[in-house]
Amino acid sequence: MITLKAQPDEIYDIELEHSLLEANAKLAKENRALLDKHGTTAIDFMGAIGSGKTTLITKLVEKLKDKLGVAVFNGDATTSNDADAIAKQNVPVVQIATINGCHLDANLVGKGLRQIELEKLKLIFIENIGNLICPAEFPLGSKARVVVVSVTEGPWMVKKHPHMFLGSQIVIINKIDLAAAMEVSVDDLTRDVHALKPDIKVIPTSCKTGAGIDQVAEALLAI
Amino acid sequence: MHELSIASGLVDKLLDFAEKNPDKKIVEVRLAVGEFSHIEEEQLRFCYTAVITETPIDGSTLTIENIDGVVLCPDCSYRGRPKYLEGILSEDPVATLQCPACGKTTHAVGGDECAIKSIRFKEVDPLIA
Repeated sequence: MITLKAQPDEIYDIELEHSLLEANAKLAKENRALLDKHGTTAIDFMGAIGSGKTTLITKLVEKLKDKLGVAVFNGDATTSNDADAIAKQNVPVVQIATINGCHLDANLVGKGLRQIELEKLKLIFIENIGNLICPAEFPLGSKARVVVVSVTEGPWMVKKHPHMFLGSQIVIINKIDLAAAMEVSVDDLTRDVHALKPDIKVIPTSCKTGAGIDQVAEALLAI
Repeated sequence: MHELSIASGLVDKLLDFAEKNPDKKIVEVRLAVGEFSHIEEEQLRFCYTAVITETPIDGSTLTIENIDGVVLCPDCSYRGRPKYLEGILSEDPVATLQCPACGKTTHAVGGDECAIKSIRFKEVDPLIA
């Protein structure tokens, strides 16, 4: 830091390199180190309200819970509806109420990680707040990020919220059983995703018919 | 609106400075905001103004320097400005991670920051201020 000697009422500058994203990034790294120490992988699920994150996670938990230790973190601004739904699967569930916050941050997730028995867990699903604008800037310490979009959100979800996809490894296009009724092309959405980031893995799913759920489970286990 | 979280973090830092330096009144803060940080300038300004109201830094101005994004392609070694999305709905260009040269996936190597670069202040008599 360089400070110049100042006289009253004169204006001076201080050079100050201070990152505003660093505090969260540092906590995210700590979360990741804690997870790595226990051999646990956390996956951050992001997507709009109603895109089907909770149902999808429930299906994945159902499929995986007998094979390996899984837990779910639910971010929700006010309710515990989602956490209650997943708790029926008899796996550890941590409800993170952000109240007025529109995204989970590494601090909240870190608190949750210290309250569960990590040594028993291989996979943690982190369901982020239903919001496609904010969470991208706030890494949580997860090993991969998954964006869930559904055909019921219309044909422009990817183009409207491009930022969310740049930091993600997997995109799930959900509710494909309704694609024809919605007149939304899954291929077009896939093309939009790949225009942003060519190597992103896109998996079309339907929680109703079960299509694609096995592929998502496989993709998560491969992370 | 993550801009509110960022504005709050910024103002906390500035108030900390103001408290430690009662003889310096902050008049301006300069930020560097990268293209890949996805921070909406208008919203950040709005949040900043809202958060500083009735604090010792009320009335200070926020100056934002935009930093261009730079991508690096591990496949063809292209290094430079990113490719922009075509046919988008917003007025602002949207940078992608698709390599402008070979079409494979690049990494952002510049322009992901959101940082305070400098603070401008005025020397004041702490007793009067």
